[in-house]
Amino acid sequence: MSDFNSLAELVIKGDYNGAQTLTQRMVGNGNDPLEIINQGLMAGMNVVGVRFKAGDMYVPEVMMSAKAMSKGIEVVKPLIADKDMPTAGKVLVGTVKGDLHDIGKNLVLMMMESAGFEIIDLGVDIDAEAFVKAVKEHKPQVIGMSALLTTTMLSMKDTIEALKEEGLRDSVKIIVGGAPISQGFADEIGADGYAPDAAAATDLCKRLIA
Amino acid sequence: MKKIRSNSIEHSTPLLQWVSEGQIEQIHLATLEVLERTGVKVDHPEALQLLKDAGCIVNENRVRIPSWLVDECIRLAPSKIVVANRKGERVMPLEKNRTYFGTGSDLPYTIDLETGKRRRSTKKDVELACRVMDYLPNYDFVMSYAIASDQSAKVSDLHQFEAMVSNTVKPMIVTAHDEINMRAQLEMAALVVGGKEELRKNPFLILYSEPISPLVHTNDGLGKMFACFEYGVPVVYTPGILSGATTPVTKAGTIVLMNAEALAGVVMAQLKQKGAPIIIGGGATPMDMRTTATLYGSPETMMNYAIMTQLSQFYGIPNFTEAGCVNAPVPDAQAGMEAGTGILLAQLMGANLVHDVGYLEGGKTGSLTFLTMCNDFMDNARYMGKGTRIDEETMAVDVIDEIGPGGNFVSHAHTYDHFREEIWAPKQFNRSFWEIWEEQGSKTAEDHAGDLAKEIVATHTAELLEESIRQGLNDIISETENVKATMKRERKARS
Repeated sequence: MSDFNSLAELVIKGDYNGAQTLTQRMVGNGNDPLEIINQGLMAGMNVVGVRFKAGDMYVPEVMMSAKAMSKGIEVVKPLIADKDMPTAGKVLVGTVKGDLHDIGKNLVLMMMESAGFEIIDLGVDIDAEAFVKAVKEHKPQVIGMSALLTTTMLSMKDTIEALKEEGLRDSVKIIVGGAPISQGFADEIGADGYAPDAAAATDLCKRLIA
Repeated sequence: MKKIRSNSIEHSTPLLQWVSEGQIEQIHLATLEVLERTGVKVDHPEALQLLKDAGCIVNENRVRIPSWLVDECIRLAPSKIVVANRKGERVMPLEKNRTYFGTGSDLPYTIDLETGKRRRSTKKDVELACRVMDYLPNYDFVMSYAIASDQSAKVSDLHQFEAMVSNTVKPMIVTAHDEINMRAQLEMAALVVGGKEELRKNPFLILYSEPISPLVHTNDGLGKMFACFEYGVPVVYTPGILSGATTPVTKAGTIVLMNAEALAGVVMAQLKQKGAPIIIGGGATPMDMRTTATLYGSPETMMNYAIMTQLSQFYGIPNFTEAGCVNAPVPDAQAGMEAGTGILLAQLMGANLVHDVGYLEGGKTGSLTFLTMCNDFMDNARYMGKGTRIDEETMAVDVIDEIGPGGNFVSHAHTYDHFREEIWAPKQFNRSFWEIWEEQGSKTAEDHAGDLAKEIVATHTAELLEESIRQGLNDIISETENVKATMKRERKARS
């Protein structure tokens, strides 16, 4: 088995110490850092994605694989210029104003991170102004808003309106999610997409950015 | 002379104990360790001050609670909380081993009884669910069931309360957006019963408020709770969790963490007001590791509730748990299994407030058909919970002797006297022979329940509130809506 295949295999198994050690060895052997990411670490993660979707892998196993991938990336990142770092896209996420529930948002961002997205997590209780400010600062391709409470989900619309007022609406795609959210609600408030769970949210982002 | 049995123990109801008393103490001690070592986060200024004054170690909003204080507050919390119905009748004493069933609150979706289609819930759904539960005898209390999402979001909770109190006399558990809306509901409740004194004497509502796992106590959650204590209204203060995400994945770890959150609530409640009526427990649901769904109808939840009920009995504090809430999206065989086992276990354990009965799709979708079906499930569980009567009369040795070998019992007076209590008769289950079942339209249990739900909706209304009270309730809703609108304008002007 090539080192690349072994590395992918370690990612799939979630062996983060193994992945880190092998990545170091591969760098020492003169392998191209970008190839290590694409043919080793990401290749493993792609298999994980497929297996998770098929129901053959579970969330904690995906999380451990993601950890193995990022341990490897930590090793090679200093060797790659920022502009050359492969990324699936930049996503800004936050739980909306008045809502302090963050487990749903966290699951989404962990799944997205594991699919190679760069994530900016604003945290909880984020109002429209804070979203606007963060969009200006980070220039994400996608904004994800999360709400658990039916009383707070309406503030998603405030954020969309605020982005319009600032002339930023067309610069980003907006996706929404959370227990009380539906496709109908997403359409109603003028969001670009809705996903019922974390895996679907990741796919949605890929589609919107593609 | 009556024959007496000496040195004998009788169980009037079945005895079910999930873990030993020693294991319950083990969980209690682990909980004390969490509160003293890790502590909790408290985002309510008054609560923080109370905790500090009582001897807790407070760093900013992180509070470490000494175990002696927890033990003392457990002793102060009432072991009996009597809840009345709307008419002031003290129908629901929450005390050790008494079990009451009711539904849950705030379902975003409803399967329409007429069209069979799933759609967003409306205020009308709250009204209909309360009328159905007002009629069905095994529902002891109600919650809103649906979200009044067709009403102004700022005061949708007040609309739900108005719909509940207008459509059932049964005790109710309410939810509130924040302290302002809670106080509005308390004013509405006082209006219904003829004043604050009447409400304090015989509260007919309970607030459901919650910490956020892990170990966070919010300003809103505590503010609502403290407001209720001013009115003598009891509070359920319990977390809804996801094992493996917001708590440890292990059942014991889940219970320890939830218990720590509940007991921190007990401490704050008792520091606010000695003897404050607080109810502990919560929704101990694991996360499905494939879909991330919240698993309500799972064996783990029921196993957790068995232990949490034992814990509350150990503390002598009434508890709140759930059953009859399923992950099945429609009222099918899976739903029956999920609901039935949970309801039975809650009954046998003697949990106090068993809510969420009649929830579909992991607490997202409601259906009057399923709500109605569950009435029979609860009836079945209560029947089993009553236990088996064993005495001279029921052992029937005389009757067996009288009939003798080869006879039959069907026409005997003993059968006539006892068959109604000895053989349970469900309202909606199919028990006919195939040909007869076909002749009667080949209806499923779901069809029967749907028919009954339609009949109740068409014919049953709860005792009406006086017109002046109804007007007063609507006035409070309008006033609160105005207050909220003004607050929003002021916030906007400031920013």
